[in-house]
Amino acid sequence: MSLADPELDEAPHLEPPPHDALALETRGLDFHYGNTQALHGVDLGIARNRITALIGPSGCGKSTLLRAMNRIYELYPNQRAEGEILLDGEDILARQTNAADLRARVGMVFQKPTPFPMSIYDNVAFGVRLHGGKPKAELDAIVERSLRRAALWDEVEHKLGSSGLGLSGGQQQRLCVARGIAVEPEILLLDEPASALDPVSTAKLEETLLQLKKDFTIVIVTHNLQQAARIADYTGFMFMGRLLEFAPTASIFSTPRLTRTRNYVTGRFG
Amino acid sequence: MATRAGSASGLSLGGVRSASRWGEYLFRAACFSAATLLLAALAGLVISLAVGGWPALKAFGWRFLVTAEWNPVTDLYGAAGPVVGTLATGFLALAMALPLAIGVAVFLTEFCPRRLAQPIAVAVELLAGIPSIVYGMWGLFVFAPWFAAHVQAPLVAQLNEGSLAARLFAGVPNGANIFTASVILAVMILPYMAAVFRELFLSVPAQVREAAYGLGSTAFEAVTKVIIPYVRRGVVGVVMLGLGRALGETMAVTFIIGNAHGLPSSLFGAGSTIASTIANEFTEATGELHTASLIALGLVLFVITFAVLAIARALLASERH
Amino acid sequence: MGTRSVRRRAANAAFVAATALATLVALAALFLILWSLVSQGLGGLSGAIFTQDQPAPGSPGGLRNAIVGSLMMCAMGMGIALVVGILAGTWLSEYGGQSRYAHIIRFLNDVLLSAPSILVGLFVYELMVAPFQGFSAYAGAVALAFLATPVVVRTTEDILALQPGALREAGMALGAGRAKVIRTIIWRGARAGLVTGGLLAFARISGETAPLLFTSLGNQYLNLDPSQPMAALPTTIFQFALSAFDDWRQLAWTGALLIAGAVLIINIVGRLLAREVSHK
Repeated sequence: MSLADPELDEAPHLEPPPHDALALETRGLDFHYGNTQALHGVDLGIARNRITALIGPSGCGKSTLLRAMNRIYELYPNQRAEGEILLDGEDILARQTNAADLRARVGMVFQKPTPFPMSIYDNVAFGVRLHGGKPKAELDAIVERSLRRAALWDEVEHKLGSSGLGLSGGQQQRLCVARGIAVEPEILLLDEPASALDPVSTAKLEETLLQLKKDFTIVIVTHNLQQAARIADYTGFMFMGRLLEFAPTASIFSTPRLTRTRNYVTGRFG
Repeated sequence: MATRAGSASGLSLGGVRSASRWGEYLFRAACFSAATLLLAALAGLVISLAVGGWPALKAFGWRFLVTAEWNPVTDLYGAAGPVVGTLATGFLALAMALPLAIGVAVFLTEFCPRRLAQPIAVAVELLAGIPSIVYGMWGLFVFAPWFAAHVQAPLVAQLNEGSLAARLFAGVPNGANIFTASVILAVMILPYMAAVFRELFLSVPAQVREAAYGLGSTAFEAVTKVIIPYVRRGVVGVVMLGLGRALGETMAVTFIIGNAHGLPSSLFGAGSTIASTIANEFTEATGELHTASLIALGLVLFVITFAVLAIARALLASERH
Repeated sequence: MGTRSVRRRAANAAFVAATALATLVALAALFLILWSLVSQGLGGLSGAIFTQDQPAPGSPGGLRNAIVGSLMMCAMGMGIALVVGILAGTWLSEYGGQSRYAHIIRFLNDVLLSAPSILVGLFVYELMVAPFQGFSAYAGAVALAFLATPVVVRTTEDILALQPGALREAGMALGAGRAKVIRTIIWRGARAGLVTGGLLAFARISGETAPLLFTSLGNQYLNLDPSQPMAALPTTIFQFALSAFDDWRQLAWTGALLIAGAVLIINIVGRLLAREVSHK
């Protein structure tokens, strides 16, 4: 694919949600890995209490975009973001925004389950404890509520003290979801959360996400088109570091405007 | 449009929760200090050897390195005897241990049935951890007497007096000499070298090994023409590491080398190494110059082992890329 | 079948036989050593070894002063080595990364790892014994710490590097700082590996003789004061083995058996732990 490709020069087709419904918005977002530019002027609006899916071929920048939203990329030298990411109208890329506080507001669940080497209870309580000591009773209540919302409570109720590493892959991933929502973030980012799971666990996770959108704004990166079609309210198609098409999920899959989007969602490439 | 560079410290940007920021800073500083302590330790080691040995180097100059005389009575010291002894035992030990170590590693990785190879490999690795003083004691009490009675005495009896061979094998027939010290050193470095060789051979990708056999090579050809050449720099690196161990070893040698000053006269003659000389004389050193000369010997040993290690590391590192 | 093929197969058979022979020779030599150790040392093993101090030649006695001294100095040395080694290894793995300084530290650690142990003895003598006019268990412990620390640094860095990067990201994605993530997540996940590293280091120093010769010196009496010279098993063995007295030599064999046995057990436990980690 060369940059001379006509469709890349064509204006992206964007149908963002209404502006007052936005929880988070990127404006002209560029991203660099050293000398390589991975994102080119991405304008994306994330609707509150909705699920937004990002799809596109490998290396299109969808994960990079997600990782900019909680500044987790800062773990690595030579990675930098330029532009604006507005959370409630405040630019989170601004120097005065504290990364730790930001991450309490924008939670993240990763591709592979990442239970910490500690008990199930301590896993869920980890983030809560970071952000200020709470009395034991209150912590207990938060842990239970989070595990319930992540649809894991019934399975672990009687073994909260045992290691999180002992759970199955699907359970581990829901544990990570519970851990992420325990700190009551506004937004939950999920980076291909089901790619390491079997179909049954995947279905269970998707169900959980549909429940969670009542309380949280969810952004999910996925390479599974059916998954996006099943659970997302909005879907963005990314290609070579650009957001090419962004619209309500139904119209992306039924009436894509750009041929490249159409080729991708019908499985002709990618 | 502002640029915000991500960096390791970027996480503590902003001014919230100063207690945790201090915790972050202190922890990082503690880790950094500990790492820097390693540098300080090595620098201290070199400086203390240089300073402690300086009186001897000043008194004898470069002749310290080439003089074989080592005499506390006349207060004249030269490093040539122990240096030659160190190099001779080190290389002799290497010459004996190397073929055996490669043989063991090849056997374990290529020929030995898996169920047998694993326990043998573990045993070899465990033996590599046996303290060297045990090897030294065994050399002194078991090997040296056996060697004197069953090898040295019969061999010397066979030789014509004055012949080249007789001069090579001359010595007090008590089994404490350069040769037996080398044998003990060889036995000591053998498990270590075999264990590292085995790891090295196991690191050869399966495709390379399969390709060699796939072309119809015999095991002999696969090992000598493909597998060993594939990791040849690593092989040299392991050789240097084994040599470094042998050169710096104290206890395995001190028991059995005979502890004679001066240049070793023959293979079966008593001698000394740098480490054995220091171990034997340091606490009983008679004067300032004697002590300084022993420390200067230590400096020479450090330079030798450092050079060997630096070469080994460079070779092993280039293997990895 | 041509002669070339016959020759190739013959060469191969000879090669296989040679490597098998090498293995046999190596195992036989090592077996002989262990056999001498057990047959010579086992006879002297008795309760008195642990309850009585070293005797004058010709009278009965044990190795209690040396065993206690070894345990004390190794414990002190390991205390230093674990703190410095784990912190330094953590810096290399978590902060230093591929920086130039980290590469230098790694190289220097390798140098320390293979520096002749007798030189460490000389250095600590110059550092602690000569200035304060006295041999002491403190000096012995510092010398042992010098030898143990590089082992701990190496294993710490290796084991931390094995912890998945996703775990670090997940911790920080919850708003934890890097130090917090290391202390509460990474170290905890690497716990068994860190213990293994400590055990390997402990095994290495427990048999070391050369660095103690000019630092802790030795002591024929039981001494619990670290500011005074202290006996250690290896130095006592060295002294007894080179003596002319049969009963001292017997004690030396028994001491050597004790040390070798202890080192083997520590190494085996460390390995079992490491295997448990890799199976998880």
